[in-house]
Amino acid sequence: MGSVTRFQTEAPLHPAAAEFLGDAFARGWADPSKIHQESRKVALLLNEAKEVYCQHLGIRHEQINFLGEPSLGFHLGISGLITSNSALYHSAVDRSEVFAVASGIRSEVLPVDITGQYLVPTGTHNDLITYQSINGETGIPGTVPLSFAGKVFIEASPLISLPQKWSSALWDARSWNGPDGLGILAIADKGWVNPLPHNDSRVTPGSFSTPLVIAGAIALENFVREFNEHESKIRALNSKIRNFLITQIGDVDIAGDLETALPHLLSFSLLYVDAQLLIDELDKSGYAVDSGSACNAMNMQPSHVLAAMGLLTHGNVRMTLRADHTELEVDKFLSVLKDLITKIRR
Amino acid sequence: MELDCRGMRCPIPIIKLAQSLKTTSDVRLLSDDPATFPDLTAWARMTGNTFTQINNETFDVIRSD
Repeated sequence: MGSVTRFQTEAPLHPAAAEFLGDAFARGWADPSKIHQESRKVALLLNEAKEVYCQHLGIRHEQINFLGEPSLGFHLGISGLITSNSALYHSAVDRSEVFAVASGIRSEVLPVDITGQYLVPTGTHNDLITYQSINGETGIPGTVPLSFAGKVFIEASPLISLPQKWSSALWDARSWNGPDGLGILAIADKGWVNPLPHNDSRVTPGSFSTPLVIAGAIALENFVREFNEHESKIRALNSKIRNFLITQIGDVDIAGDLETALPHLLSFSLLYVDAQLLIDELDKSGYAVDSGSACNAMNMQPSHVLAAMGLLTHGNVRMTLRADHTELEVDKFLSVLKDLITKIRR
Repeated sequence: MELDCRGMRCPIPIIKLAQSLKTTSDVRLLSDDPATFPDLTAWARMTGNTFTQINNETFDVIRSD
């Protein structure tokens, strides 16, 4: 089998974190809350990791909670701020987890325009609105609900600073090539009430793995540094692909504008192209990409993000660009893509 | 003309629609694929053609000349 160039969302654990993880599992087994030599060492490591998260995510020590199940953070972060007289406002391009939480409470879906932005409702101080700092499919930053009167839940990214006003925020360590199974939930609102039945005051009853927390912090530090170092190169690659699609391929619907979107994500849809066929052919040619088209989804439904933005849902290709992608790789990919599309459209 | 694409999945209804519009200027498209409505919306924006949704499975499409 030949080599594969990967432009997919999921990436291997950051090598620096992977290198440390074996060591972390060896050293990080003790309970950090107990008074033993081993426990104290772990407590120290955990504290250092917390410092990294606080610094890079813009949160305070007392706000931070680690989750072994990142998706649970949507329920904890949203439902914990909802009371019987609250309404939840959320974006039509939010993740399905938000829709799932919303289905159980009084809620309103905010439609988005073709740039992925919603009109911020006024709300009351009891209400909650969701803000997605970056859409995971398109790389487009969400609308900052500055004028909203109520609370704000953020599906956050380490690449976008938190706004001045927020109530709870959730990060998934996978978004910075950290380990699977690690969420960070920060709670700023003093009125937050645990929606889970617990017998003590902890937000999560120790559901997380300490070695993963430490490895996640290492991955985060490296990811942010590398992103900053290589942002202009990644932006140039993204721009190159966009230009090629428009000038060399045509009949293409590209999500968002590179001026406002983050450059490491790119989503485009090709008119009259069957995404399943294209993805298979690209795979055979040694390129791995993602797709939001219905034929590629488990439930055969088109991407709700593309549909909500009014973008073409068939022939969709999603690419994730990383610092280690080269211009040569992108050039070769574009040439293969053009040939395949010509063949498929014929 | 009427173009019955029921039972077909995306992007076939849109491909067949575009082919039909080469020879005729208005088409009644029948399609039960969940991607047809969002895709017709995007396709109309991209190509300048227009359509009206009659019911869940019926769309009247007019070619822009």
